[in-house]
Parts: sequence; structure tokens; C-alpha cells
Amino acid sequence: MRMLKATAVALLLQTALMGTVYAQALNGNPMSDVRVRQAIAYAIDKDTIIATVLGGYAVRADGLLPNGPFKSPNLDPYPFNPDKARELLKQAGWDSSRTLEMVFYYDDQVTANLMTVLQAELADVGITMNYHLLVGDVAKTLNSIPDDPKGKSVVTWDLGYGARAAIAMQEYFNDYATGKASADGFPGSPELDGLIADSNSSTDPEVTKKALMSIDEYINKNALTIPLYYQQLYAVESNRLNRNGEPHGNDQFNYDWNIQNWTVEPDADGKKVMYTNAAPVDYFEEPWVNLGLWAGNKMIWAHMLSAKPFMDGVAEGDLADTYKVSDDGKTVTFTMRDGTTWQDGEPITTDDVVWSLETALKVPTLHGVLANTFNSIEGAADFVAGTAPHISGISVDGKTITIKFAKVDPNVLLSFTQWGPLPKKYFEGVDPTLLQQAPFWQKPVGSGPFMVEEAKFGDFTSFVPFDGYWKGKAKIDQIIAWASGDGDANMVKNAAAHRIDFAITKAVNDLETLKTLDFMKLTPLDIPYTRMIWINQYDK
Amino acid sequence: MLTYIIRRILIIVPMAVAVSFLIYLGLDLTPGDAVSHMLDPTRTVDPEKLAELRHALGLDSPLIVRYWIWLTGVLQGHFGYTLTGGVPISSLLVDRLPATLELSGTALILSTILGSILGTISALRRGSATDNVLTVVGMIGVSIPEFFFGLVAIVVFALNLNWLPVGGRLLPSYDSYWDHIPNLIMPALVLSIMMTAGVMRYARSSMLDALSREFIKTARSKGLPEWRVNLLHGFRVALTPVIVLVGFRLPILIGGSVIVEQVFQWPGLGNLFVSAVRNKDLPVVMTIALLSVVLVLTVSLIIDVLTAVIDPRVRLGA
Amino acid sequence: MALIDIVSRRSRLDRQFDQLRRLEEAGALRAAGGSRFVRKFLNNRLAVIGLTVFTVILLMSIFAPLLTPWDPTKINLRAIAQPPSPEHWFGTDKTGRDVFARVLYGGRISILVGLGSALVSAAIGVIIGCYCGYVGGRLDTIAMRVSEAIMAFPEIILVLMLVSIVGQSLFNIMAIFILGGWCGIYRLVRAQMLSLREEEYVLALRSFGLNRGLISFKHMLPNALGPVMVNITLSTAAFILAEAGLSFLGLGVPLSMPTWGNILNVAQDLAVLQNNWWLWLPVGIFISLFVLSVNFIGDGLRDASDPTQQG
Repeated sequence: MRMLKATAVALLLQTALMGTVYAQALNGNPMSDVRVRQAIAYAIDKDTIIATVLGGYAVRADGLLPNGPFKSPNLDPYPFNPDKARELLKQAGWDSSRTLEMVFYYDDQVTANLMTVLQAELADVGITMNYHLLVGDVAKTLNSIPDDPKGKSVVTWDLGYGARAAIAMQEYFNDYATGKASADGFPGSPELDGLIADSNSSTDPEVTKKALMSIDEYINKNALTIPLYYQQLYAVESNRLNRNGEPHGNDQFNYDWNIQNWTVEPDADGKKVMYTNAAPVDYFEEPWVNLGLWAGNKMIWAHMLSAKPFMDGVAEGDLADTYKVSDDGKTVTFTMRDGTTWQDGEPITTDDVVWSLETALKVPTLHGVLANTFNSIEGAADFVAGTAPHISGISVDGKTITIKFAKVDPNVLLSFTQWGPLPKKYFEGVDPTLLQQAPFWQKPVGSGPFMVEEAKFGDFTSFVPFDGYWKGKAKIDQIIAWASGDGDANMVKNAAAHRIDFAITKAVNDLETLKTLDFMKLTPLDIPYTRMIWINQYDK
Repeated sequence: MLTYIIRRILIIVPMAVAVSFLIYLGLDLTPGDAVSHMLDPTRTVDPEKLAELRHALGLDSPLIVRYWIWLTGVLQGHFGYTLTGGVPISSLLVDRLPATLELSGTALILSTILGSILGTISALRRGSATDNVLTVVGMIGVSIPEFFFGLVAIVVFALNLNWLPVGGRLLPSYDSYWDHIPNLIMPALVLSIMMTAGVMRYARSSMLDALSREFIKTARSKGLPEWRVNLLHGFRVALTPVIVLVGFRLPILIGGSVIVEQVFQWPGLGNLFVSAVRNKDLPVVMTIALLSVVLVLTVSLIIDVLTAVIDPRVRLGA
Repeated sequence: MALIDIVSRRSRLDRQFDQLRRLEEAGALRAAGGSRFVRKFLNNRLAVIGLTVFTVILLMSIFAPLLTPWDPTKINLRAIAQPPSPEHWFGTDKTGRDVFARVLYGGRISILVGLGSALVSAAIGVIIGCYCGYVGGRLDTIAMRVSEAIMAFPEIILVLMLVSIVGQSLFNIMAIFILGGWCGIYRLVRAQMLSLREEEYVLALRSFGLNRGLISFKHMLPNALGPVMVNITLSTAAFILAEAGLSFLGLGVPLSMPTWGNILNVAQDLAVLQNNWWLWLPVGIFISLFVLSVNFIGDGLRDASDPTQQG
């Protein structure tokens, strides 16, 4: 409904501007002139930047979607061409006294170098750009948009450097819809809104793929956003660690890790201890916010289903033994596995699952892909609005849970590979809005292969195998995870001191050093992760 | 004496309250709040849900109300909860305060001992090569950026020589408290070397001052051996100002190790403060800032009182 | 015998006095004497070295364009992370900028932050301190309370909190340093004024009917300037180091501006620390040398202005 309304408003406002590429500014902001945006795209020498500033640890991006099956052949690569950029700026009547403000939120040296280079390359074609690191309220500064798409921008920045990581390809584009608060800075167009709706409404992968590729082409042609490069993820492993053939995957998310089969060389006392990072600094984050980002959460939690390594389908059941999707894609049935228990020994019940689904819908920070899926369940809207005590689309029969969907969500199975239930009994009297504030998160009781032995927040967390894990007890005796945020500045120091056996990094400067350590192994992982420049086109 | 102390307290308490309000006001003026920090900047969330969350966290009531609730809580010993994780701040303090006290306390003690000894030597050998070398070395010690010093120490002692761990505080497999001493050595030494020069300079001038006093000359004229004169008479007199100096440096216990904690991944209050400032976790920033202010004010009260006890003129003057 | 002795001794003394008188009349004695303060300062070898290094680095920064042909912001992606060469004295950084040029130009901003903040806070402190110390009154009470509130914070806690409130910019960083820095000098000057107020020469001036402003600023202030100058040097050193520390925490002068702190910040990267010494060692030496020279100057000033220490 909201979507329809937004589209209608956009239609009313933009009827005079039908078509695709307008060679003129649409409002008082020169960035709304496609020629200015294209000039910026031509001014940036992506290949040289990747080879030098990024040390070759990245792949050129022409579209937002990753290379491979989703890559459209019709994308304009905007090859480096300062003369063309200057020409376009001249046509657009660019006011060279104007200074563009660029914002970014990575505080590493490589990003600082990148900014320096972008500043110099833009200056070369006659655009003055100043950049600054966002600290404090990053999300609000980036994502705020005016209520009216034709209204004045509520933020000061012109260009934003950032990334999109996606588990489902729609995640790249859903924010471009009219009226959707996000960093893309595009006020929206009916044509794009239509394509976005198409990409979200079919169970036929080919239809979805075609819609997604059309969106990427639309963004490319209009230079709404300038993709720069794909950042590879690197698995960093010491020569003590042996994954015993378990494959690598997209470690930004949850996949069939099978960590219970991993082994490490025993230490002097014969104890097999694995060192890693990304343990919590203050508290365990509830697992429905950042899917699979924190190693600790991966060890603690099992999920309904288990994903293939690169999220390309379901590998097998996890807490759910079997699952079935009806032909119209609107009914999903799970049969729970026998004998699974929480780490306190109590059985995992269908009651836990249903309660968790209902709670998830009320958690404000629920991940977007999960939210899309769960909000598509029949009766979800009434339940969220408080007019129904339960979600009418969910029914339980013995060990079987049947979920009926009001509308088709192409990512329904994917969502259930990333989502698992929480033990209901620990959350008596907890307001779902304040789920993260529950004392439970000081030492969670999970369902996965490892359980928390001791959490010294800000220092380390110690994990030990959970005997009752349904896939069997893990072979590693203990996992020590050093506390760190995403992008651990100390990982390389720890690795050099033999205190890291497994870690994940995207940081180019880390890789330079890790390469020199002969006892560490780097494995590049191709993941959908695109770094790009957003352009704020709202009126100024 | 009692009236003097009471008078001092009557000045300090309103001061602490005023300062706490200023902190609260200042932080309230900055854009954004904890809610937007709980979210990954690469994703977006429904604004209505955010409003709900803000309401549940009490972030939408007027400033003065929030301030009052917080202040009355603190007076009853409730520091509140962190906004991002809902962890009781008192439990965070219990975790982090010992780490910081351990680090900066060690550095404070080391630098005081080292500084006093070197300062005394310097004074006794005034003008000699030793004195000049000590002065120059001390100066160099305070002229190198702290983090730079720490990083180079890590490369040399942890990565190249492999003598000491790169950072962190507790090891998971420690059997006794003393097992983590290797982790303490480098940060504590770096911090105390930065702090030694100040003590040394102060001890040197106090010693020089003491040595020029009449009673030293008297002791010397009595024919006492020179070492006895210096040690028993000179050093004792010079020590009093050093104790005062230590007192004035006590606030370093909270504020002094912020950068060293970052360099060595030391999970102390300084680390907590920096991340709280970045996350706009208002209650945490408030608590640590207020804690440090109260510490400074208390220490200055104690020093004032001690000085008044030693020198009655202060009392009359104040 | 004895008489001759006395005569000869007298005559020698006489000769000496005659000599002195000649010198005095020729004006040579005054020239040799100069200011006792300057003489004492110049006798302090470290202080002179400090002053020399300080001046050299300051002039190098000011006249940077004459010393290097390179533009500190000009990138060259075809020559990144080059070791020092005759062309690039300190090599190039990871975007191909000339490190020597960056260090020189960075000095401009770092010295501006350090010396500028110290001088402004000293000026504020002296003016308020002078007025409050001599005149007192309501302003004195307010200034005293405000300075007490500011000084109740450990320095770094105050600075970090203010940075998070007002945000990062060159102006803001300097404003924060000044806000935290004026109190010390204010209190120092105020205390000096309070004790000088009772001196007889001040009473005499007052009885001549000179106005209070003239007495306090022209006749009393010069007697309090020694400690103020010492304080300025120490603040300069502290502010330059604080700028570097803030850069390390990612809360300093924006990265787009070369400052010594921002240049040195690359040392956080272990690879750079181990492989590209020219990216951090020269600038590390520049900061340390400059701060050291300022500290030596401060030390010299302290000794020179301290009457209990002989020149």
C-alpha cells in the first residue's frame, strides 16, 4: 500500500519528465544533470586505482550486480576519459566555483588514499571535491531523505563512498524505490519503481534475473550511482588449521560451515585450540541483525536450513529436517528434526520457532531480507499492527510448521538459511523492541556447534564444543576469539604473533602484510560486495 | 579546619553537578543518537520502527527530563544501561576499571620511582654530563608521539624479537593473576616512560631547592658524611613535593592511558570511552566523564586539605 | 716597603677603575650586558640549539615552495611508495605524493595548530588574568568558576568529548585546544598579579593616579611574563603532540589536510611500519625534533626567568 502510494505521488510529480535520460538538471542541484554524473564516471581511472591504491586486491565494477550470471552485457564501462568528462561538464554548464562534499565511513588508510586520488582526478577535470570521514551518526547522515521526493535534500553531502553487500540480489536495488530512505540519493522514477517491483514478485529465477539486470542497466545508463570495484573477501588461515575438505563460502553470511569437522594442530599440552577474532566487544549481538557477520554467532547458532557456500541454494536441512515449497511458492512446510536441543539440554520445540518468528517481526533491527520474507506471511500485517494475537499464516501440526504467504517472496528459502529460533523461555517478559537489551546476550544459550564458555567483553570469548549438536561434537577443543569489531585493526598484529588461525578480511592493507607471513594462507572469496559512489540528486 | 573542608566541599558539589549538566547538554546537541548506531550503515530500516525503538529507549523525552532521571539514578548508585547493548554500566565499569587502574597505576608507580631517583641523581650531579644526558633523554621521552612510540615498540619487541605479546590483557588459559604480567609490561613501560620526564624534572628542582636550604648546610658543617646529608636530609625534604605531584597526577589514572590502551588493545576505560564517544552511547560517556571529574575534584580537595594542614597560612588566605 | 705596596696597590685599582670608566663612557659595558634574561638564555646551550632547530623547521615550513618543487597534493599513481631518491628526498607515499613536500607543508598546519593555539590561549589567559588579578570583581568570580570547571576534566577526556560534539575541522580543533588551554595561563597571571598588587612600586603608581589598566598591563604584566612564555612553549609542544594523538584516534584534523599527525598516521599500518620506513620515520623525526626544540626553549626560558638560578 505504502509502495503504491509512493509510486502514485512520484507519477504525479514526474509526469512532465517521462523518458529515460534527461540532458538537463531536474532541480536546483547540478548533480541531477546526467551529464555531470557521467562526467564524474569518466573522470575516475578505476583500473589504475585498483592496480595501485588497492594493490590489485579488487575487481573493476561496471554495474552494481556482481560479475557472473547476473552481469548484464549492456553496461557502459565509462572508460577513463578526462577529455570527455570535461566536454560533458562544459555542455552541462558546470559551475567550477562549486565544491562537492564527499563523505565516507571507513577509517582505514587505503580509503584515505582512495579519497586523495578521487579528489585529484576530479580536480583534473575541473570539479573541486572535499572529503571527510563520517563519525558519530553515520546511518542517519547517509540515509536521510526529504519526505517529498521533490523537496530539498536534508543532508549536505553530494557524493558518498560506501558499499553494498548482498545476500539476495534485490538488496542492491530495493532502496532505489521512490520514497525509500537510503544513501543512493536518487529521488526515484516510475520506470525504476516498476522494475524494482518486478524483481521482487516472481518465483521464476529467470524473470527475476531479467528484472535485476534491467535495473542495473538503468542505473548505469543514467549514472545514478557510480560502481567502482568489487571487493573480494579473503579467508585468512594459519597452517595449523585444517578444514578437512569443508569448502569456503561467503563468510559475510551463514553457510554450511561444518566447523565441527575442522581440526587444528594440538598445542604442547595436546589441546586443540583455534584462535580467531570478531568476538563481542560489549555484548553478543542478536543473530537477526547482521546475518553471519560475527564469527561468534556462527558458532553459537544453528538455523532452520543450511545454505550452500555461496548462498546459491539450500544445502540441507538444519534444525528443520525437511522442507517443502508449494508450486505457487506461497506455502512452505518445515518438519523439525528429532532430538535437537538447546545448549542447556532442553529440546528445541515448534513453540520456540513460532515464538521466534513472531518476535522477529517486532524487532526493529531485523535484517531487510528477513523482514521482506516475514512481512510477506499471511496475517503478518495484522499481527504487527496489534490487531491479531498471532500470525494467522503460521500453523503447527506435531513437528510440522506450515507457513502461508500472502505474496510471493523470491528469497523465502534463503531467509530460512540465515534465520534460526531463539530459546523462548529466556525471554519471558522481554519487550521484543528491546530484545537486544535482554540479559540473555551476556552469555547466550544457543543451538550451534559451540557454546560460550567465558566471555570477557572487549578482551576475548572462549567457546567449547556443544556435546548435543545434532551433527556431532566438534573436534576442536576450544576456540579463543579476540574481541573486535568488523574490520579488526589488530588482526594482522595478532596473526603475525601466531594468535590467529582463522579470520576474514576485506582490508587491502591487511593483505599486504599477511602475504609476507609464510605461515598464513589467504583464500580469495568472490562475494557480492560492491564499493560505489552514491550521488545525492535531491534538490538543494 | 573542619569549616575549611566543608567550605571546599560546598564549592565542589555544585561544580560537579554543573559540569555534569554541561556534558549532558553538549552531547545532546550532537546529531543522531544511539539507535542509528545500532544499524549497519549499508542497510536501511523502516523509520516507524526506529521511532518505536527510540521511544522504548526513552530517547524521545525532553532533555531536562532525561537529565533529571539520569542524575537521580546516579545518586542512588544506578549508572543506567548502555544504549547499544543494554549492559548495566556498572558491570562495564567493574570489567574495565581494574584494567585501566592496573595499567596506569603501574605506570604511575614506575614513573614516580624512576623519576624521583633519576631526578635526585641529576640534582646531586648538577651540571655534570650525567645531569645533561638525563635532562636530554627525559626531554626526548616527552617529545615523541605516544602512539608512535608504542607502535614501534610492538614491531621491535613483539614482532621482531618475539619477547612480549602484541597486546590484549588476559589470556584465556591463565592459571593465576600473575600470568598476564607479560601483557602488562609493554604498555606499562611505554606509558611510564612518557610520564617519567615530568617527575624527574620536578624531583630535580625540589632536590636542588632542598639542598640549598640552611639546615643542609648545618648538617654538612656538623661533619656528617656527604651521602648521609643528601639521603636523609635532602631527599626527605624533596619528597614532599613529589608526593604532591603524584596527587595531582592521580587523574591520569583515568584519562592518561586512552591512547596507549588503543595501541595495545588494552580493554580499559580509555578504550571504552573512545568507542562510546564514537557510538554516542551517551550514558557511558556521561558516566566516565563524570567519574573523571569527580576524581579530579576529590583529589584536589584532598591536596588542598593536606596543604592546609602543613601550611596554616593557606587556610587563612582561602 | 709597606707604603710602596699600598701605593702600588692603589694605583692598580685606580687603573682598573679608570678602565671601567672609559668603557662606561664609551657605552661598551651596556652593550656587553644587554638583557640579563637574554644573556642567561644564550648561555644555555640546549636552549640555543632548540631555538636554532625551531627556527630552521619553522622557516622550512614557511618557505616550503622555495625548498621543494613538488606540490604536496599532487598524486602520481605511476610512482607510488618510491623509496628516497635524488628526485624525491623522502620518497613518495602510497598515492605518489612527495613525502618531503608533505612534511614541509604539513609543518605549516601542525605549527599553526600548536603555536597558534598556544599564543591565542595565552593572549586570552593574560588579558583575563591581568584584569581579574588586579581589578577582581564579578568577572573574576565567573572566570575562576569556568576555569575550575574546565580544569576538572582530564585533558584528553575533555578534548575527545568536545571533538565528538563540534566535529572535526582545523578551526574546531584549534578552538578546542584554546578552550582547554587558556585556564592555566589565566590562573598563573592572576596569581602573579595578586602578589604584585601589594608591591610598593604599584602602590606608588596608584598614588600617582595612574589608571588601573595602565598599571596592570604596562607596569605589572612585564614582571609576570617569564612564566607565561614558559607556559606558551610547553603548550605548543603539548598541542602538537595532541594533534598527532587525535589523528591516531581518527578524531583529528580532517585527513584531506596534510598535518604531521595525519602523515605519521600511516604508521598504524603494519606493512608500512615494516616495509616503508620513509613514510613514517622522517615525519616522526620532524615532529619529535620540533617538539624537543620547543621543550628546550621552554627549559631555557624557565632557567633564564628564574632569579634563583645563576646565569
